[in-house]
Amino acid sequence: MLRPWPSSGTVRALCRTVHRPLLIRSHNFRFSSVAPSLNSTSADRVPLRKQLKQEAKNLRAQKKQRKENEEAFRQDWELTVGVEIHAQLDAGAKLFSRAPTSASESPNSNVALFDLAFPGSQPEFQAATLLPALRAAAALNCEIQPVSRFDRKHYFYQDQPSGYQITQYYEPFARNGWVDLYDYDGIAPEDGSRIRIDIKQVQLEQDTAKSQEYPPSAQLLDFNRVSHPLIEIITMPQIHTPATAAACVRKLQAMLQACGAVTTGMEMGGLRADVNVSVRRRGEAPGGYEYDGISGLGQRTEIKNLSSFKAVEDAIVAEKNRQIAVLESGGVIEGETRGWTIGSTETRRLRGKEGAVDYRYMPDPDIPPLVIGEDLVNLINDNLPTLPDSLVQTLRTGYGLSIEDAKPLIELDDGARLEYYRDVVDNLCSLYADRDNKTQAAVARTAGNWVLHELGGLLTKADRPWDEEIVPARSLADLIDHLQRKLITGPTAKQVLAAVFDGDRRPIPQLLKEDNLLLRPLSRDEYLALAESAIAQNPQMVEQIRSKNQLGKLGWFVGQMMRTGEKGRVEAPKAEEVLRELILGK
Amino acid sequence: MSLLREAEKCIANQQSHGLNAFITSLPRAGRWLDRVKEADRRREQGTPKSPVDGRLISIKDNICTRDLPTTCASGILSKFTSPFNATVIDQLEDAGAVVAGKANLDEFGMGSHSTNSRFGPVKNLRRDASGQDLSAGGSSGGSAVAVAADQCYAALGTDTGGSVRLPAAYTGTVGFKPSYGLISRWGVVAYANSLDTVGILGKKTSSVQDIFRILNQHDPRDPTSLSAFTRSRILSQLQSPRLASRLTSKPLRIGVPIEYNISELAPSVRRAWLLSLVHLQEQGHTIHPVSLPATKHALSAYYVIAPAEASSNLAKYDGVRYGTRAEGPDSDGQPDGYLYANTRGSGFGEEVKRRILLGTFSLSADAMDNYFIQAQCVRRLVQRDFNTVFAAEHPLAATQDTGRLEAEQVDILVCPTAPSSPPRLSDVTVASGSSPLDAYVNDVFTVPASLAGLPALSVPVTSESSENSGAGELAGIQVVGQYGDDELVMKVGELLEGKRFESSL
Repeated sequence: MLRPWPSSGTVRALCRTVHRPLLIRSHNFRFSSVAPSLNSTSADRVPLRKQLKQEAKNLRAQKKQRKENEEAFRQDWELTVGVEIHAQLDAGAKLFSRAPTSASESPNSNVALFDLAFPGSQPEFQAATLLPALRAAAALNCEIQPVSRFDRKHYFYQDQPSGYQITQYYEPFARNGWVDLYDYDGIAPEDGSRIRIDIKQVQLEQDTAKSQEYPPSAQLLDFNRVSHPLIEIITMPQIHTPATAAACVRKLQAMLQACGAVTTGMEMGGLRADVNVSVRRRGEAPGGYEYDGISGLGQRTEIKNLSSFKAVEDAIVAEKNRQIAVLESGGVIEGETRGWTIGSTETRRLRGKEGAVDYRYMPDPDIPPLVIGEDLVNLINDNLPTLPDSLVQTLRTGYGLSIEDAKPLIELDDGARLEYYRDVVDNLCSLYADRDNKTQAAVARTAGNWVLHELGGLLTKADRPWDEEIVPARSLADLIDHLQRKLITGPTAKQVLAAVFDGDRRPIPQLLKEDNLLLRPLSRDEYLALAESAIAQNPQMVEQIRSKNQLGKLGWFVGQMMRTGEKGRVEAPKAEEVLRELILGK
Repeated sequence: MSLLREAEKCIANQQSHGLNAFITSLPRAGRWLDRVKEADRRREQGTPKSPVDGRLISIKDNICTRDLPTTCASGILSKFTSPFNATVIDQLEDAGAVVAGKANLDEFGMGSHSTNSRFGPVKNLRRDASGQDLSAGGSSGGSAVAVAADQCYAALGTDTGGSVRLPAAYTGTVGFKPSYGLISRWGVVAYANSLDTVGILGKKTSSVQDIFRILNQHDPRDPTSLSAFTRSRILSQLQSPRLASRLTSKPLRIGVPIEYNISELAPSVRRAWLLSLVHLQEQGHTIHPVSLPATKHALSAYYVIAPAEASSNLAKYDGVRYGTRAEGPDSDGQPDGYLYANTRGSGFGEEVKRRILLGTFSLSADAMDNYFIQAQCVRRLVQRDFNTVFAAEHPLAATQDTGRLEAEQVDILVCPTAPSSPPRLSDVTVASGSSPLDAYVNDVFTVPASLAGLPALSVPVTSESSENSGAGELAGIQVVGQYGDDELVMKVGELLEGKRFESSL
C-alpha cells in the first residue's frame, strides 16, 4: 500500500462533487424551458418522455459503437492485465501491537507505542491475525510457506509513522494459488465458461494511517488504522479483458468474505485494487518485457488505488485505449504509475520511472521469521467454510435453482439469506421426507422463488433490511407446503405472506382456517358458467383467437374468470382448460 | 561508607568535573535521596534487594526513561521525554538502583569518540603527557567517563560495534557487551537492531557481573530477546562436563587471533596484549594462535550493515508525532520538495546524516546486491570463523560445522580492544582534518564480535616498560567467548583486570 486509502484521490473525488450543482442548474434550465414562458415557442418544446427516449437511444448507440470499437481493437491488440488486491483482514488486533483494530472509534484512540513509531518501541507480532490470512490463502488454493519473513518498504509520507511499511516482499507466506472465474462471475464472453487466474503470492502487511487533506496545507491524521493487518494478493498477468479483470476483483472479494478473511468490501474501503496494464500488437514479434515469468509482453503501467469494480473495468479500458493511441501514433509507453478518478475517461500520470520510489526493501531485523506448522494449515483447510463456487454448484444440482437465483441467494445479506433459505428447505424436507427426489427438488426450487422474489419484493417495497424473524422460516415452509398441495391458490399465498410480513404471528394452518382462505375447489359447472359469461361478453376476441390463433388472449379470459369468480377459488390451470374446450373445442 | 554518602560523592563529582559526561544529571535533592536512604536501612538490616540496591547507575541517553529526557544526543530529540521506561530501567529500579542521570554519547550511538553530540563532546578524565584532552571513546563515552570519574557506581551503555568496549579501553574501565539477545532492548533507541546490545560499564568486572545478572532475563516485549526455553537449553549445554570443567578443573585453551596483530597496532597496546598472554600462561593456561580470516572484511561489512539499518530506523524522526520540528514549511519550501527535509536536515548531525546516506545508498535497488547482500555474506563468514575456533558449539547454530579440528580449538579469545591508546580530542574533530574513516578504524577489533553476536569484555591492563620509564601505559584487553559463554568471559576478564605488568619488552 503506497497511499492512504481515502487520501488525495478521495479529496479529488470530493472536489468533483462540488461541481455537481452546476449540472443540476443546467437541468433546471432545461426543465424551465419545457414550462411555458415568454421566450419559448411551442416548437422548442420536446416532451420529456420523448426526450428521455431519445437519450436512452443515443446511449445505446454509443454503447454499441464502443463495443464495436473494442472488438476492432481486440482484433489488432492483445491486452494483458495483472491485479493486486489489498484487503483489511478481520482481526481483533493490529499486526504488530496489541492495540485493537477499529474503524469507527474516535481518532487516535487505538494506538500502541509501536504504531506511532516511538523511539525504543518494538514490534510484537499478533499470531491471531494469521488465521484470517491463512483462510484467504487456503481459499485461493495457495501453498502455505513453512517459513516466511517480514521486510521493510521505505518511503516518507505522513500516513506512515515509521518511514517504512512492514510487508513480506522477499518471502511471502503463501504462493502459487489460483482462482477460477466462471461465466456467471461476469467474465468476458471470449473467455468462455471458465478461466483460471493464477495467484503469484499472498503477503501480510501493515495498513497506513488515515489522512485527510485540508488544502492548501493542513493534514489531519488518524493513527487508528495504522498497522491494521492487510493481505496483498498478487495475480499473474493472465487477464486479457477489462470485464474479466473486474470479475476477478469481484470474485476475490466474494471469496475473501465467504472464508471469513475480511469484514468489509470495496464499498466500505476495506479492499483496494491496483492493476498493471500492457498491450501488444497481435501477429507481431513478442514484446520485450517479462513480468512474473510471463515473457513477450509490452511495457506495462500501473494504476493505483481503484476503489470499485466499475473503476477497475473503466480504468483498464481507458488505459488500454491510451496505450494503443500512443503506440499507433509511433510513441513509446513509459513504465509509470497512473491514477484514476471515478467518472473520468482517462488515467492520469502520477509519477514516471525516473521519479519512481526506490523502496529499499530490507529484511526487518527485529521480527523473527514466521514459522507456520503443517498442523495449523490442516486445521485451517479442514474448517474452511464452503466457498461460493461449490455453493453455486450445490444450489444448482442439489436444489435445482437457476444460476440467476443461486448467485443472489449466496451474495445477499452476507449469506444470511442463504441460511434462511436452507432453513425453509429443511422445514419442507421434513414434510416431504417420504416423497421422491423430483418432488423434493421442485419444492426446493419453489422455495428459492419465494425467498428471493416474493419475500424479497416485500422487503424492497417496505424498504426494510433483512431479518430472518420478519417471516419465520417455518411459516414460509408451511405456506409453500399448502401451495404445493394445492390447498391454496398462488394469489392467496401471496396475500398470506404479506399478512405475516406485516406481523400476523398466527401459525399458517390456523391463519388459513380462521380467515377461511383454504381452497374450496369450484365444480366443473361453476367453471363452465364463468367461462361462458366471459365469452358472451367478448365475442370479437373469441373470434380473433379462433381465426388468428391468438392463443395469448386466452390468458386475458383466464384473468376475467378469476376476477368475476369468488376470490381465491378460481384455479388458473383449470380455468384455461375449460376455456380451451369452449373456444377451441379441445 | 554509607550508600547515601557514596551517592552524594557521585553527585558532587558530577557537578565538579567539566567532562560533559552527562546530558541530564541528577539534581542534588530529589526523591532518589529517600530511595538511597531506604536502601541504606535495608543494608543495615542485612536485607538488600540486590548488590546494586541504593547504587547510582548512569544511563546512556539512548535508553528511554520516563522521569528524565531521552535525547540520543540529537537535535531532533533535544527536548524529548519518553512516555515509558526501558525494560532495563525497570529491572534496575526493581533491584533498588537509582538512575544517576543520562550520559552523553555520539548522536544515536554513531561515533567512536563521543564528539558527535548536540550537547558537546565528552572529555576523558585522563590527559596525555602534555596535558591535552583525550578522546573518551565512543559512543558510550559519557557512561565510561562517569564511571571512571566516580560520578556513579556503574553505567549502562549500548554496544553496536564496540561502543561500550572502546570507551572502556580509553578510560581504563571495564566494559561488557553480552551475547546478543540476552538483555532486553525494549526502550533502547535502535541504531542497528541486528547488532545493538545493552552493555555494562564498571570499575570492576564483579560489579559488571552483578548488574548483568539482574538484566539477563527474557522480556516478551523485545522480539529478539531469547526465550526462557532457549536460555535453559544454553545453560544445560554449559553445564555439560566438557564445558563446566573449563577454568574449574581444567586450564583454559586461550586463542590468539593472528589477524589482530596488525602493523598499525600501537607498541604499547601490543606490549599489553603480550604481557597479558604471558600472565595467563603463567597461571597454567595454554596459548594457541588461531586464524579468523574474515576479520579483514568485518569492518567494511559492519559499516555497510549498521548504516543500512540506521537509515531505516531513523526514518521515523520526522517531527510529526514527537521530537523537534523545524520552523517553517517542511518540504524545502517547494510544493514538490522532499517531505521533512527541513526537520531532518536541521535535526540530525553530520555523522548521522552521513550514515543515513550510506545506508540509503547500500539498500538502493542498484547497490543492494553489491553492498548489503555482500556484507551479510561476510557477516556469515565472520560467524563461521568464530564457530571454527571455539571448542564450544554455538548453541543456536542450526547445523554443526564440519571440518572442526578439536586439537586446534580454544575456549576463549584474548586480543586488544583498540589498536591504539586514546587520541587527542583535538586530533579527532573535523576541524583537525581527520576523516570519518579514521574514526571507523578504531572499531576494527570490536566489530567482529558484534557481527557474530558474541560476548566480549574489555578490561584495563597497565604495562610498564623501561621505555616509558615506569609510567604505566593503560590499554584495554578484550576477552571474547562463544555465544552464551558470558560468565566465562567475565571470569577470564577478572584474571586480567587492573593488572600491572612489568616487562623488558
